[in-house]
Amino acid sequence: MLSVLIWLPIFGAALIILLPSRLPANRIRLAAVSIAGITFLWNLLILFKFDVVNPGVQFAEYLPWNETLGLGYQLGADGLSMPMLALNSLLTTIAIYSSSRETERPRLFYSMMLLISGGVAGAFAAQNLLLFFLFYELELIPFYLLISIWGGEKRAYAGMKFLIYTAVSGALILATFLGTVWLTGASSFAYDSLSTQTLSTTLQIILLAGVVLGFGIKIPLVPFHTWLPDAYVEASAPVAIILGGVLAKLGTYGLLRFGIGMFPQAWSIFAPTMAIWGTVCVLYGSMAAIAQTDIKRMVAFSSIAHMGYVILASAAATPLALVGAVSQMVSHGLILALLFHLVGVVEDKVGTRELDKLNGLMSPVRGLPLTSAMLVLGGMASAGIPGMTGFISEFIVFQGSYSVFPLATLLCVVGTGLTAVYFVILLNRTCFGKLDNLAYYPKVEWHEKMPGIVLTALIIILGVQPTWLVRWSEPTTTAMVAAVPTIERVVTPKIALKE
Amino acid sequence: MDFANLASQLNAGTILPEGIVIVTLMVVLIVDLILGRTSARWIGYLAIAGLLAAIAALYFQWDNINPVAFSGGFNGDDLSIVFRGIIALSALVTILMSIRYVEQSGTALAEFIAILLTATLGGMFLSGASELVMIFISLESLSISSYLLTGYTKRDPRSNEAALKYLLIGASSTAVFLYGVSLLYGLSGGETELNAIASGIAAANISQSLGLVIALVFVIAGIGFKISAAPFHQWTPDVYEGAPTPVIAFLSVGSKAAGFALAIRLLTTVFPLVVDEWHFVFIALAVLSMILGNVVALAQTSMKRMLAYSSIAQAGFVMIGLIAGTEAGYASMIFYLLVYLFMNLCGFTCVILFSLRTGTDQIAEYSGLYQKDPLLTLGLSISLLSLGGIPPLAGFFGKIYLFWAGWQAGLYWLVLLGLVTSVVSIYYYIRVVKMMVVKEPHEMSDVVKNYPEVRWNLPGYRPLQVGLIVTLIATSIAGILSNPLFTLANNSVINTPMLQSAIVTNTRVSAVTEIKQVEGL
Repeated sequence: MLSVLIWLPIFGAALIILLPSRLPANRIRLAAVSIAGITFLWNLLILFKFDVVNPGVQFAEYLPWNETLGLGYQLGADGLSMPMLALNSLLTTIAIYSSSRETERPRLFYSMMLLISGGVAGAFAAQNLLLFFLFYELELIPFYLLISIWGGEKRAYAGMKFLIYTAVSGALILATFLGTVWLTGASSFAYDSLSTQTLSTTLQIILLAGVVLGFGIKIPLVPFHTWLPDAYVEASAPVAIILGGVLAKLGTYGLLRFGIGMFPQAWSIFAPTMAIWGTVCVLYGSMAAIAQTDIKRMVAFSSIAHMGYVILASAAATPLALVGAVSQMVSHGLILALLFHLVGVVEDKVGTRELDKLNGLMSPVRGLPLTSAMLVLGGMASAGIPGMTGFISEFIVFQGSYSVFPLATLLCVVGTGLTAVYFVILLNRTCFGKLDNLAYYPKVEWHEKMPGIVLTALIIILGVQPTWLVRWSEPTTTAMVAAVPTIERVVTPKIALKE
Repeated sequence: MDFANLASQLNAGTILPEGIVIVTLMVVLIVDLILGRTSARWIGYLAIAGLLAAIAALYFQWDNINPVAFSGGFNGDDLSIVFRGIIALSALVTILMSIRYVEQSGTALAEFIAILLTATLGGMFLSGASELVMIFISLESLSISSYLLTGYTKRDPRSNEAALKYLLIGASSTAVFLYGVSLLYGLSGGETELNAIASGIAAANISQSLGLVIALVFVIAGIGFKISAAPFHQWTPDVYEGAPTPVIAFLSVGSKAAGFALAIRLLTTVFPLVVDEWHFVFIALAVLSMILGNVVALAQTSMKRMLAYSSIAQAGFVMIGLIAGTEAGYASMIFYLLVYLFMNLCGFTCVILFSLRTGTDQIAEYSGLYQKDPLLTLGLSISLLSLGGIPPLAGFFGKIYLFWAGWQAGLYWLVLLGLVTSVVSIYYYIRVVKMMVVKEPHEMSDVVKNYPEVRWNLPGYRPLQVGLIVTLIATSIAGILSNPLFTLANNSVINTPMLQSAIVTNTRVSAVTEIKQVEGL
């Protein structure tokens, strides 16, 4: 089952690169969309077959691969990876669909997009550390090429920066994995065969620090985030959607799976630091976003802030908080994809992303009314306005974390306030006001509106009916929390999630 | 001594592969003498057939129950078979590359092939040599052939300079090596066979004496020169830049493999008493090689010089396996050398193709190549990314195995350094990929703008294409389908009695030191 999610896009990528070169970009895009679409439909099928009450690994697959290295082709999905897999295949389809019809060098572009999709699915589904690492590193070169061939003006710099940061992150993760497996004396890298209970606390903390730093670069945690604004801003809109929507989740997923999952004891010691760190990310990201004058940079910094909530929630590690973390990952993926897509449309039509040049896009006749309406909605969703999925996940995060880290949670609530501030600035400068008399923007075609409409619909549906967001991950995260020794809780006002 | 006894002592069947190579070499020379230049069209294929036959003969010698030949002068165990195979394969691909290159330089192909086959012969004998004089003779026949090959394009001043430099450094390092060897002969009370030296030294009870350590250091200087480990690397960049490109393809793979074969055999057999000392020296060499090779490669503008520094760095990675000294360590070395063969030769084939069509080796001149020559771009990208250790290519699995073996042996800092320097290496490998793939059509270099039409039916291009495609496929899938190669590497270590005893003593020694440490605490 899960293999299809990995290999269909990868073989599709191989197929696309072998297509004859005289085919127009549009046809190649169509082929890529269909491959991604079929993958997504397959993913939906898996999602419906997913047994929601089972906290364990489902759809397991195993093939022996390289026993000398302890590398097995071992897949499986649980409540943590299932929503991520779905998010990945959905966003890939949308990103490929929303890419320009006149993309240059289309064969390379679409095959790299599909390759990334397959690789990310592999990383989410891998139940073997080395297999995870293999898929994790597989993203490196395709993303580098996507940023530095089709990006903006400073793409060469941004691409190289991304490459080096990610490579360092990979090296840290590999060192930690090697260390964990060897020190615990396990014979293979299989995830379920690892148990770190036998290790001394100091060793556990050192290894956990490796995990946190390695994935912290990818998430990104604040001092290691400097690749992110460059990479997001220089990447073209579809690439930015995948980069922010999916790849950042690979970092938080790694933190949950390999941080909490493998080192529950050390995690409880580390948690207060992580809570503070997450709060710093939230506040820093929001403040930095306020200062930006470029929409894309603003959205990029908002991404740093929103990942901070996930860090806070995973630090708190209450059942509720972890459900919140997973939902926040999904919500952020959807919202960021929507925002990046809309910013891409605006840039495409208006020709600028500067806040002091944009104006009055709300204007019904000459402006971009539907796009700006969706932009308003996306901004509100990001800022945590009820009725949309952003609010749901942030509320669960706060509710789950307050009992453990009240102060950090309160500061994060302040962070959401700041989010509202910069999104109001953004919306005020772009959507409202008066349009220049000289402005005659090209019409937004229907097919260009579609991705935005789908994402908006999803954001609202999941905001009104949040059970569909949280039900997948609840049993798994509860089981994960059970392994974490109690983090010194302050007060515990018990508020149940539902019923 | 009756004849049967003598024949069993000689056991001459063991060197059948080398015999085939010698016959090929003679035939190549004689055919060229008789027919002259006209033979150049097919003489390359003759040599390739000979090397293939030699590899087939090696295959049938696998698990030879009676490997010791020539009264202990040569050991045809599985370890030597793997290394002889690597060297023969690298010579084979080198001939594929050189047919066009040598013709274009206006020199004779037959002599080139003859010298190359002599170098191959030297390397193959070195892989199994277990006697000091034998080691020295095969080492020198490899070295002298390498000097001759380096200066083969004698109208090119850079080639001349490289040959002279290589000869000077090589001759002095050989002299140092010879001095070390003569010390060994004296210390062991007059033995030349490696096992006899080991027992002679043990019996003389001079363990860890000054003489033994001096002999060790001198021997390592000789080996370090061959594998271009960091303080002995200085010839590498100049030779790589000056020598004909197929020659450095052979030097970077075949000659290096021979050096590592010598290192394993000599160090594990003769120096078990000073195992900590030579581990220490090699740790220093590995650290220096990894840092220097990777950092200096960042600043190179010539492709060949860049590959020279990268090969220094790769030697540093391979040394991790040697230092680990476990079964996995040796096996990972062999596996890495195998995949290094594919990726490096693939890379060099592309460099040769590019320089044949454009006449330059500058990295900046590669920009915009994807439009004109997609196959070359693909080949060079895949091989460089594989050298950088990007999954799912062969080099990734090679590095993982090396690091895994190193970590298991407790070489944490070395592995971490390897990881960090791999990250550094990705930068300079990707720089070339960036030139070829990322650059826009309007940023194309002048050389690529005037790129000739890609034609494979010109004389000598077909073998290049075959070599490129075979090594490219091997580089791409030897990682994913690596089990046969892993089995090969592991079996060659397991089936080699010499290594098995070395591993046992090694673990015993480390166990003893551990106990000492515990008692000390």
